[in-house]
This record gives sequence, structure tokens and C-alpha cells, in this order.
Amino acid sequence: MIQRRDFNRMAALAAASAAAQARAQNAPSAAAASNDGIAWDKAPCRFCGTGCHVRVGVKNGRVVAIEGDQLAEVNKGLLCVKGYHVGLALYGKDRLTQPLLRRNGVLEPISWEEAIETISQKILATPDQFAIYGSGQWTIPEGYAANKFIKGGLGSNHIDPNARLCMASAVTGFLSVYGVDEPAGCYDDLDKCDVLIMWGNNMAEMHPVLFSRVIDRRTRGEKVTLIDIGTRRTRTTDFSDHYLEFRPHSDLAIMNGIAHLLIKKNAFDPKFVEKFCNFRQAPKDPNATPTAPLLGDAMSFDDYKAALEPYTPEHVEKLSGVPAEKIRVLADLFANKDLRITSTWCMGFNQHSRGTNANRLCHGIHLLSGHFGRPGDAPTSLTGQPSACGTAREVGTMCHFLPGGRLILNPEHRKETEKLWNVPEGRISPKIGHHTVLMWEKFCTPADKGGDIQTLWVQVTNPGQSLPNLHKLFKAKAGQPDKFLIVSDVYRTATTELADLVLPSAMWVEKNGMYGNSERRTQQWFRMVKPPGEARDDAWQMIAVARRLHDLGHPGMKDKNGRFLFTFKNDQGEEVPVWEWPRYYDLNVDKVLFEEYRLFSRYKHKDLAPYEEYVKARGLRWPVVQQQDGTWRETKFRFSEFDDPYVKKGAEIQFYHSVTKDDKALIWFAPAEKAAEEPDAEFPFWLCTGRVLEHWHTGSMTRRIPQLHAAMPHSYVEMHPEDAREHGFANGESIVVKTRRGELKLPVWIDGRGHPPRGSLFIPFFDERLMCNDITLGDVDPISKEPDYKKCAATVARATAAL
Amino acid sequence: MSASVSRRGFFTALSRPFQKKAVPVRAVEVTASATPATPRTAIIQGRFCIALTSFCSVCVERCPVSGAMTKDRGMPMVVADVCTGCGVCHDVCPAPRNAVLMLPRRPTTLTPQPA
Ligand code: SF4
Ligand code: SF4
Ligand code: SF4
Repeated sequence: MIQRRDFNRMAALAAASAAAQARAQNAPSAAAASNDGIAWDKAPCRFCGTGCHVRVGVKNGRVVAIEGDQLAEVNKGLLCVKGYHVGLALYGKDRLTQPLLRRNGVLEPISWEEAIETISQKILATPDQFAIYGSGQWTIPEGYAANKFIKGGLGSNHIDPNARLCMASAVTGFLSVYGVDEPAGCYDDLDKCDVLIMWGNNMAEMHPVLFSRVIDRRTRGEKVTLIDIGTRRTRTTDFSDHYLEFRPHSDLAIMNGIAHLLIKKNAFDPKFVEKFCNFRQAPKDPNATPTAPLLGDAMSFDDYKAALEPYTPEHVEKLSGVPAEKIRVLADLFANKDLRITSTWCMGFNQHSRGTNANRLCHGIHLLSGHFGRPGDAPTSLTGQPSACGTAREVGTMCHFLPGGRLILNPEHRKETEKLWNVPEGRISPKIGHHTVLMWEKFCTPADKGGDIQTLWVQVTNPGQSLPNLHKLFKAKAGQPDKFLIVSDVYRTATTELADLVLPSAMWVEKNGMYGNSERRTQQWFRMVKPPGEARDDAWQMIAVARRLHDLGHPGMKDKNGRFLFTFKNDQGEEVPVWEWPRYYDLNVDKVLFEEYRLFSRYKHKDLAPYEEYVKARGLRWPVVQQQDGTWRETKFRFSEFDDPYVKKGAEIQFYHSVTKDDKALIWFAPAEKAAEEPDAEFPFWLCTGRVLEHWHTGSMTRRIPQLHAAMPHSYVEMHPEDAREHGFANGESIVVKTRRGELKLPVWIDGRGHPPRGSLFIPFFDERLMCNDITLGDVDPISKEPDYKKCAATVARATAAL
Repeated sequence: MSASVSRRGFFTALSRPFQKKAVPVRAVEVTASATPATPRTAIIQGRFCIALTSFCSVCVERCPVSGAMTKDRGMPMVVADVCTGCGVCHDVCPAPRNAVLMLPRRPTTLTPQPA
């Protein structure tokens, strides 16, 4: 067992922002590397997309201490409650240590050879009906290996990551506004802004270290105005100067209201708009071409103005419930060019059946008002997963992407990728694969009814809990013996419940890795301890299957020259058979894969530096460009001449991947629309789902950490006291929440951590015993295909029988 | 807080720290606040508390005694006169180094200084 005393003692040393440290009078962390036999190394935190760096202390082959890394710009030595305990994520009592195959309904241990053989045979049986469901927690090299294996080897595009459930709308937002994915700004904007607007974004709980970076400014006497625009009061609200509560789904109306006023009062920035922007609206025929919804139809400024005409503050008040006065306050802020305004958002915009449009409108009000491109003036999306940006988006492990921002549908992009992979022309299929929801729908549908996915391999994620509408998209797999589910994970989860083959994986510092956080920062770490039992790296698992297929004669596993797709040479130029596990760490597979992947990064100017640069740094923000003197320089503010080396001299701002190829960004108009399912007489409540501070997503790691489990032991439903009184519910009473998809029995928490308004409920999704996704709707955004987890109609009742 | 709402109710549903197995969801009678042998009181050790840096408020949320804990600009405070010394706040504190000290109650000192 981990030496808890050491662990706590060391971790406590890190309880240190500047302020906390002064209070604690702690010595700086260097003192922690004392002479008690602990070896220290750096790694990004395993949990959220903030991407804090931790120092990991190892003794006798075990992680015994964690502390915030003071050299890391992101967190400057600070961690959140999850980060302090991240080391314990490795040491839950029930780690998976052997491959398990389901026989007669029971998971029984088998050997790795059997496991690899089983997967290979399944793939060979129906190669085009095999799919990979990956993750924003895949390391960059893992995602790259999986992508190459399926797209460059099997010639199929049935690969999609769980980031589809979380960042897809941000991606389509960025792509359709700037022509290239990911935020232009970075966390430095949070240090510089005068106003921070958090759109449906509970930063205090979901990106706590970022939020403390902002609050720390206040402690230092700086003035920063925080505006929380949300559908329920959260801990973020407690710290905010303004709280604007809107009717779910009406955020688009609010943003249109701001744009309306900016134009009405002639308070937008005509110079910025003239020089740097074009206008766009939804295409007349969204099915004209596959990219039509992303490109839209051009519109004139006058058309744009006319389209916004109805969104008067009074009309917006009617739609959103936000007082007209407050809409005017917001517009006045944007009208003031002396202020620096940063907008942040996360799942509130993205898990939205109009998520792409919500993203577009937010970029739109920043562009229209010229609040863009200066430090502190930025529309910035935050990610939930540690490598949603790095692995899912940049490596392009989505069903329509190729690495480095390339598209399956573009023949040139396929050709370039084939060249870089050295595979024969035509190897990459021109057909887009199944996106997440479709993939699971097809997997859960019998083959004779059109279910064209037979074998599905899940790595580093827990869809059995995180997919929406689980009865339809996951549980329906049960009782279909021809459907084969492979799950690589570190613990048993809701997903392994239905798995036919379970593979034990190495996690975090049990393997080499690289992550990319919300601000384009690529981070690297080394393996520090051995995985337990027979657990092995996810990338090894993929490569071992590829090798087995190669040996069984699958032609796709060879490149143009007849060499195995994953041929690696050591420094002496000798080939190392890394598919043999004892040889896997004979060389640094991560480094080889990363150096290969790096070549893809230039096309969209997402330049990555050589691996060794990341070894030295606490992450670097791309584009990382080599200087005259040979050093590598990161970029904080993209598209701005003063910082981005790719902007032409004198351009001031240049959107060099512009959709319209004229260096301009697009300001979109999109109407406010109704949600797919709104409360009615039968189901009178809005139901929203989300996360809590103590747990990371489905809780498979954090629920095994005693401190975090004790602090937040199980799920609940939040409800307004008046609603509770009307129904006669007492605090803590077990009640039933019901939707058209099912029901869930759980305790009601009144005046708890969050405070939903009347007629609104909130349930966190971390608890595998109380899975709120049994009852969520999960209608998808038509453009990003990301499901809406934040809105559906529900009703409540007293639980009649005891559980 | 509205009168129909009892803090205790929620506490009973959530108050089983460190249990490995599923925590029963049903509400049960409050038993946790049985008076300890020696009267105790909770004290927050500010230097270990992560409320300001990590936005923690678990102790305040879970304290079963209405009015025994308050929050001052995000920091938890124990109202010693009201605190029953039940120790729930100590048990649930997730700080790397537990920030809640349980001290014997000294009648003369209402707000003892942290050790
Ligand atoms: S969970 Fe997120 S905010 Fe907390 S320490 Fe880890 S990376 Fe930082
Ligand atoms: S000891 Fe019990 S009553 Fe006192 S503050 Fe802690 S939880 Fe509240
Ligand atoms: S639970 Fe512990 S760390 Fe959290 S606010 Fe209370 S004393 Fe501070």
C-alpha cells in the first residue's frame, strides 16, 4: 500500500499558490526532494484539460508523493483537490491485472497471446465492421498509433473518440469561423482580461486551478469583473460580480441580443469588421455537399443586420428570462474597446443541440466588437479531458479527420497522409466513418437490421456510463452474441460489464506519454513505475494486434515497401520488435511515434517541436517555431502579428487559414431555436447533467481515491426548495426522476452545492451506481454530432418502495 | 434555507465516508452525531485548508448541525458554540493534510487558535 503518511506530507507541501504558500510558510518545493530516497520527475496531471503539471515522487517502485510543479506556468505549484490525490488513482484495490475473456457469461483470465489472437481473428472476420472508440485521455502517441492502424492499415475510418461527446461543437465552431481548430488565445488572457464572461461554465469546479488564477488576481488587488451566465447557481456564481440566469437553450438569443445592440447603437468595431471579417449564415441546402453546413452561405452586412433585427433586448428577455437591462449591460461592455474581455465556455455550449451555432455566435460577438487578438481579449473554449486537444483534435482520431487538421473527404489530404505513412495510394478510404453516436447505434443494432459494426474496441474511456441514452446506445448490446466488445481499461467499469474481452492497461506514469491541454500546450512525461500484474500500454496493445494481423497476412499492415507499419529502429539502426512486450521499452516508442506525427503538424501551422524540447519544458504551446539561434519558441496569441510568427508583417491580424481564403474570419448569424425536448405538462422539469469538483468524469479513478470518495460519496439530484416543498420532499429523501427514456432513484439535495432555479433539476454523472445517462436524451447537434446532455424534460415523484 | 428543508436529511444520505461498497441511497435515521465521550469541537487549520485555492467546501456542505459552520469569503469557519463535535467535517475533509482538528472543548475558549 502506498505510504500514506509520506504521501500526505509531500502533497501538503504543495498546497501553495503564492497566497497559500505565504500562509503556510512552506519551503519551496525543491526542499521536498530531500534525502529520503524519493526520486522526483514531472508529469501533467492525469485528470482535467486544465493541464496542471505535478511533480511525482517515486520510492521503491511506487508513487509515494505528489506536489504541484512550481516551474509550470499553468498552475505555478498549485493543484486542485483531485490533483493532490492523483497518485492514488494508480492504487485502487481492484486494478485489472490480467486479460479477461467472457465465457458463459463470466470474465475469465486468459493469456495476452490468446487475447491478441482473439482480437486479430475478430478483425479478420469482418474488417470493415470493426471500429475503435478512443479517447481524449489517450496520449498523443497512442491516438496516433490507433489512427494509423485503422486508417492507414485497415483502410477504414471507423474510429471516433469520446471527445465527440465533449469538444466536437467547439471544433466545428473554430473550423467554421477561423478555418482552423483550437483557441487563438491562451490562459494568459485570464491574467490580462478586465472582464471574464463564463458562458454556462462552472470554472470553479471544472477548471479550479484556472479559476484560482483569476481569483488570485483579485487577492492581489487587481480589478477583474466576473460574469457568470448560466442556468443554475454554482460555486462560480459565489465569486462572480454578475449572475445572469437564462432559460436553457436560450443562450443563442442572448448573444444575438448583444450583436443586435452593438449594431443598433453603432457600437461595433467597423474597422475590425471591414478588415478582418466576412458574414455567414446557414446554407440554404445543408445537404448540397458534405461540407456545406460548415461553410455556410455568404451574407451581406445588411442581411446580417436585418437578421438580428428581431433580437431587441425586450424580445431577448422574453426568450431567455434575462432582464433586458442586463442584456444592455453586456452589450455596453462589448462596446467599450478600452476593456479587455475574455469569454470562456465548456460543456454548456458544446453539449448543446445547437452547439456549433452557440460557439459561432460567441466568436461572432468578439469579432464584431473587435475584442479579439489583444492579450485579455479572446473567445476561448476549455476542454474537459487532458488531451482532447492534443489527441482527439490535433492527431485527428475522429472519423472524418486525418492527422494535423486534414480531412478524409479531401483527396489531397489523403494523398499527403498516404505519403507520410508510406502506404500505397488509395489505402485510406474516402468514406467518412461512423461518428460516436452512430457507431454505438450500429453496434447495438443486430447485423440483419443494418447494424454494421460487429467488433468494437474501446480504449481509455467508459462509454457504458458516459454515452447519452444508455438503454439505446449501450445496454442494447446485451444478448447479442455476435457483437464483440473489447475494452482496454485499468479498472472494472460500467463498460466492462458488457465487455467480451477486457485488457488490463498501464496508466499515466506507468507508461511514457504526451498530452495536449486546452491552451494548445503539448506536454510530455516518462514512465516512472511499472504497471501492476500483466497490465500493458494501450499503444502496445494496438501495435501487437497490428503485428499479429501482419503475420496472418493482412496486406494493410505493410507499407509500400513491404515493411510492417510500425517498424522502429534503435540508435544503432537495428529494428526492435516492440510488439514483443519485453522489448517494448527497448526504445522510446513514444518518441518515435511523436517524431513521425510531428511532420503532420506543419500544414495547419500547428508546428510541434522535437520530442526532446518537450522533455525539457513544462509543455509548449503550438505553433512552436525554431528561431534563428536554433531555440524553439512557443506562440501564445495566434493570428496576432505581435506574437504569431506566421502573420505577415504589417497585417496586424491575419486569419491565415481563413475559410474564405482572404485572411478573414467569419461572423455567423444563427437564430435562437427551441430545444429538442422542452418541459411540458407531463414532464414539467428541465433536467441538466454535469460534473462535480471531486470527481473526474465517470469517477472510475476518483471514486477509488478514499479522500475524494469521502468528500463526494454518491450522486444526487439538485432541486429548488420551493419545488421540493410543493412535492413534499425532505432533504436527502430518495425520489424518482423520470424521463421518456427511463427513471432513476436518488436522493434530493436542496440548497446543496448548486442551486437550480424553479422547474429545473441537476444530476452529476460520476456515479456508476446512479447513471443519469439512463435517462438523458442525447439528441445531437446536426453539424458536430455532439449530443446534448444538458437539456431534456423530466418529472419527479416520491420513491414508493425502499431501494 | 427554507424551513421544510433539513440539513440532516441530506447528511444522512451522504454521510458514509470511506465505505468501499455502495453507499445506500435511502435516507436513514441520523445516528452519526452521537455525543462523543469527551466533548469536542472542530477547528479549521487555515494553512491546510484548500478552500481558497481549490474551492473546497465539503465540510460546510456536510456538517449536520445547522449553523455550526459558516463560510467567510469561501473559507469555512466553525461556530464553536453550536458545533457538537460530531467529527463529520474531519472525516470528509479531502485536503492533502486534513485541515480539521478535533480538539477537546474548553469551556473558557470559544474560538481557540489553531495549534
Ligand atoms: S484536475 Fe485539472 S485543475 Fe485539478 S490539478 Fe488536475 S489538471 Fe489541475
Ligand atoms: S464537528 Fe460536526 S457539528 Fe462541528 S463543525 Fe464539524 S461537522 Fe459540524
Ligand atoms: S473540507 Fe477541509 S479543505 Fe475543504 S473547506 Fe473544509 S477544511 Fe477546508
